[in-house]
Amino acid sequence: MAALSEEVLLVVKKVRQRKQDGTLYLMAERIAWGPEGKDRFTVSHLYADTRCQKISPDGKAKIQLQLVLHTGESTTFHFSNDSSALKDRDAAKELLQQLLPKFKKKANKELEEKNRMLQEDPVLFQLYKDLVVSQVISADEFWANRLGDTNHADPSLSNNKQEVGISGAFLADIRPQTDGCNGLRYNLTADIIESIFRTYPTVKEKYCENVPHNLTEKEFWTRFFQSHYFHRDRINTGTQDIFSECAKQDEQGLKSMVVQGVKNPLVDLLSLEDKTLDEGYGVCTTLPSTSNSNRSVKESSNSAIIKRFNHHSAMVLAAGSRKGETPANQASETSNTDGNSRDSVFFQPPVKKVKLKEAIEYEDLQRENRPKTVALNLKKSDRYAHGPVPLQSQQYTTSQDIINSVNYIQHEMVNYKPNLTQVLSSTTASSAIAALSSGGVLMQAATQQAINQMVPSEVQGELKHLYAAAGELLRHFWSCFPVNTPFMEEKLTGHLEEMLQTAYSKFHIWQTRRMLRKT
Amino acid sequence: MLNIEGLLVHFPYDYIYPEQYSYMLELKRTLDAKGHGVLEMPSGTGKTISLLSLIVAYQKVFPLEVSKLIYCSRTVPEIEKVVEELRKLMEYYSKQTGESNNFLALALSSRKNLCIHPEVSSLRVGKEVDGKCHTLTASYIRAQRHSDPDLPVCRFYEDFDAVGRQMPLPAGVYNLDDLKDFGKRNGWCPYYLARYSLMHANIVVYSYHYLLDPKIADLVSKELTKKSVVVFDEAHNIDNVCIDSMSVNISRRTLDRCQTNVETLQNTIQKIKETDATKLKMEYRRLVEGLKEANVARETDVYLSNPVLPDEILQEAVPGTIRTAEHFVGFLKRFLEYLKSRLRVHHVVQESTPQFLKDIFDKVCIDRKPLRFCAERLRSLLRTLEIADIADFSAVTLISNFATLVSTYSQGFTIIIEPFEDRTPTIANPVLHFSCMDPSIAIKPVFQRFQSVIITSGTLSPLDIYPRILDFRPVTMASFTMTLARTCLCPLIVGRGNDQVALSSKFETREDFAVIRNYGSLLQEMSAIVPDGIVAFFTSYMYMENIVAAWYEQGILENIQRNKLIFIETPDAAETSMALEKYQEACENGRGAILLSVARGKVSEGIDFVHHFGRAVIMFGVPYVYTQSRILKARLEYLRDQFQIRENDFLTFDAMRHAAQCVGRVIRGKTDYGLMIFADKRYARADKRGKLPRWIQEHISDGSLNLTVDEAVQLSKHFLRQMAQPFRQEDQLGLSLLTLEQLESEEMLKKISQIAHQT
Repeated sequence: MAALSEEVLLVVKKVRQRKQDGTLYLMAERIAWGPEGKDRFTVSHLYADTRCQKISPDGKAKIQLQLVLHTGESTTFHFSNDSSALKDRDAAKELLQQLLPKFKKKANKELEEKNRMLQEDPVLFQLYKDLVVSQVISADEFWANRLGDTNHADPSLSNNKQEVGISGAFLADIRPQTDGCNGLRYNLTADIIESIFRTYPTVKEKYCENVPHNLTEKEFWTRFFQSHYFHRDRINTGTQDIFSECAKQDEQGLKSMVVQGVKNPLVDLLSLEDKTLDEGYGVCTTLPSTSNSNRSVKESSNSAIIKRFNHHSAMVLAAGSRKGETPANQASETSNTDGNSRDSVFFQPPVKKVKLKEAIEYEDLQRENRPKTVALNLKKSDRYAHGPVPLQSQQYTTSQDIINSVNYIQHEMVNYKPNLTQVLSSTTASSAIAALSSGGVLMQAATQQAINQMVPSEVQGELKHLYAAAGELLRHFWSCFPVNTPFMEEKLTGHLEEMLQTAYSKFHIWQTRRMLRKT
Repeated sequence: MLNIEGLLVHFPYDYIYPEQYSYMLELKRTLDAKGHGVLEMPSGTGKTISLLSLIVAYQKVFPLEVSKLIYCSRTVPEIEKVVEELRKLMEYYSKQTGESNNFLALALSSRKNLCIHPEVSSLRVGKEVDGKCHTLTASYIRAQRHSDPDLPVCRFYEDFDAVGRQMPLPAGVYNLDDLKDFGKRNGWCPYYLARYSLMHANIVVYSYHYLLDPKIADLVSKELTKKSVVVFDEAHNIDNVCIDSMSVNISRRTLDRCQTNVETLQNTIQKIKETDATKLKMEYRRLVEGLKEANVARETDVYLSNPVLPDEILQEAVPGTIRTAEHFVGFLKRFLEYLKSRLRVHHVVQESTPQFLKDIFDKVCIDRKPLRFCAERLRSLLRTLEIADIADFSAVTLISNFATLVSTYSQGFTIIIEPFEDRTPTIANPVLHFSCMDPSIAIKPVFQRFQSVIITSGTLSPLDIYPRILDFRPVTMASFTMTLARTCLCPLIVGRGNDQVALSSKFETREDFAVIRNYGSLLQEMSAIVPDGIVAFFTSYMYMENIVAAWYEQGILENIQRNKLIFIETPDAAETSMALEKYQEACENGRGAILLSVARGKVSEGIDFVHHFGRAVIMFGVPYVYTQSRILKARLEYLRDQFQIRENDFLTFDAMRHAAQCVGRVIRGKTDYGLMIFADKRYARADKRGKLPRWIQEHISDGSLNLTVDEAVQLSKHFLRQMAQPFRQEDQLGLSLLTLEQLESEEMLKKISQIAHQT
């Protein structure tokens, strides 16, 4: 069997499935189970088809692992080895945990891609209905060619893909649930873990440092949820907490963000006021004293919560836009860290000018003097992005060149006089006119158009669909040549012939139905 | 080109809002009458450009009647915005008339914003920049440099001093950055250049303090011509600025620093006596002769001028008791000891200035007269001693300013000594508040001196209270409505939760769980339906902290996070700035965000939330000032006795102007739109509602006076859906946006006359 050539990552014996003992195999791309004593798998699922895995809670008598597929079906494996059931299960779980996300993304992406293609392309959708839904060919075969095209273009496309941001409430999604016996349960998914890592890079660092050498993954997260770091309103008591360092780093990050200041001068509250007097002048507004000594515990915990929300939101925001903006940020950082006024003077004004301009603009008081534009509606944005003529970057090295060439073209355009008499020779022209006037060679179709109009549009539509479906089948047919693999041969002889037969009979049915209706 | 009752005004836009026309009419009448005016015009209706267009036109046509425009605004960005609008106007002028512009307009700000000296400007903190500048430019330091050329020098000031004065600043519009550029190009100090150019500039834009704070006004604005028009923009808080400029606080820390100051003075005197006794003698002789300034004060020497108003300054010789330097230092010491003893109280003391003066005479035999000269005498001494870093002596300057103030004014001020903060009665932190209660004192010279003073803002309701508390008689008082082609603001009063619990921030229900929960659900529901940005204001920082903590415990904030990111104002300005910027970023990239902020805070006063930066503002509670404050109580009493303004009237007025400021932040123009949610049942009462600006009031329908959260959500949904429809210029034309032809039609002029609501 093909399975023999696959790499087997884990073999777990004594696993029951449907009350039958057997062995569980985890391979590179799929998970499989075979009953004891037989050398074939009765259960085999590709990871890509699997939505998630579920495990039975600790302390239950049966130690189980359930796989839920995208189709909604599920398969349950029962680990029945008395001595090492739990260990086996956990090993399988851990491995699956690593493997599933890899395939999940791919599967999701593929599904999405298929969905998108069908939605965007009505012709394709119709073809899909004609061929796949009516079971002329299988969905896999249908997509085999289509996706091939996109996959080739994929690397460039996926690079341009916008990165998915993080939900602001990902921590809210792990609201603890009481499990009834004096404990709390947090539900963590791979997505949430990724969100935590992206939002709090320090936690990721800690994770890399400690897992798996010092702590198991579970222990790590348990500690995380118990930590002062997670519950920022609790006042830090124990310093042995591994996350106390994270908190410190966060604090520092926040501070450095604050020190860096803001780029938009209109929101800079520090430079808002134009007053340089001492604090002794003016009516004393009873400010909450900033010294921590005389703040109550409650107050400082409150302000910690507030700080935490600001930090959290800033980090979520940064995680969403981190990728695209790093170069810009770096540039501004260098200008900022230099600190002294000379640099900031050079960098500040443009932002400031623009913001001030924006602030005093009354768009409705001005006559709209822009030319009316038509919104660009792109059906296939990738085709727009990859225009037919790639710009040769080395050709236009300086902006001066560009300006020169634009000027040159303008100049040429001004002097351009269409030399219409030279376009066609008079004989060709007259013959073309003759051909195009009624009764001419090219106007023969005019009579055929009558048929075109005679046939009702629905019939036309149906015929078109049949034609397209047949064409698609033919494409499949011809794509099998040259026949150089046994698979091709099988496809060609067995199943394509059958398919063409089906298509033909479909056409026949339609034809007779038409005839019947007509008469 | 508009015709405003015979005055031809260049207006730099193709169209005009009807209320702008109406505003200019009222303004012109005020200028014609050479009187003062109070004008309320909704934010975002182009108030600034209307003001500038009309006054510039007036100046051009009647150069002898109005020779200068002094435009005061609150914040640095506001100042810069005004100058940019002015630039636009001037460019339009030169385009229309074809001649180059001969107007000089400039902005002035503190050294912090204008300094180009590489070392000094890198300090960034206003006080330090001022101090450092002084160490480089004071006349005696520059004199010392003749003998010792190695001393540091500010070449920008030297160059300006050498040649800058002979060449007036060429005509044009100079914003802060332009001044800096100009300064850099010529190697001149932009700050002193700007201060010098104030005298012959046609238009000056600077902050309130340059006119209202006598310590600064005396230095900067002393010689401005009487034939000026003064405009106070964003003037809804002008009374507080006036009060601020005359008040002083002295804490124990101040006194300690003052102690070291006095010791340094004493040592310096001793040293000088040994080396250069003639200097002190010279000073003494001058003081005997009664020269007001013992030395000829150069512009760079004075750090802060006399804290009392010019007409209160005594024009006589310094009394004998403090004429010699040693005597004066001894006098200061005694005064300091007296203040220290006063701060050692265990209970709150409140007394009037005459009581204070009597007490100081009884206890340490200090007369009123030498106290009055204290500030001036100290300045003379500091100059004589040639002390470089005057900023170091801020504590003793503060004390002497206090001495002068307390001995000059017998009315309108109060002294309150509090041994501890109310919230922390166990921690001793004595503070002496010398607090001005009468805003009219500081602004009186402005009204007297300048022929026209215009007080204007988006929120000045009720209009009649301002002339009362500022004690002046305006010739025009008008409130303008906002003509709207679509109702782009939607004020809603949410008085009940879905469970019918009355919503209110009043003291009794402040801790009420049900109210906090309902406030939370209001914010949560709104976060689900409002696009982009929501700003929520609380009545105080403490209140916000408590509510945020309660919401956190109840999990409300987490649910809100599902819809939007949350940013919260903190007492730290830098942190808040960052939160604000991130908030804007989140609104910009479509994620949407909520900003929790505080009424009366910096955000509520200085930051606009245009368009998608604020689609809804929620005012949780009525932002009453902290009424237990003794200073406030004293002021209320004073207002009642002197101006017959009832305490409650004033408190409500104050709360409502801040509420209006907060909600007004979202509407910054007619193409903008926003929800204004007042979440407190007390807003429905006529006495509160009636104090909102007319342009907000007229959109509160009777049906939206006491809504539940659900009802408010329904109304908001409807409103937002309507507003999301495309809004084009054509929709506005003829209604809220006029062409010149439309403006000139008889019918429209009649309509316009109804926009201004005279009181």
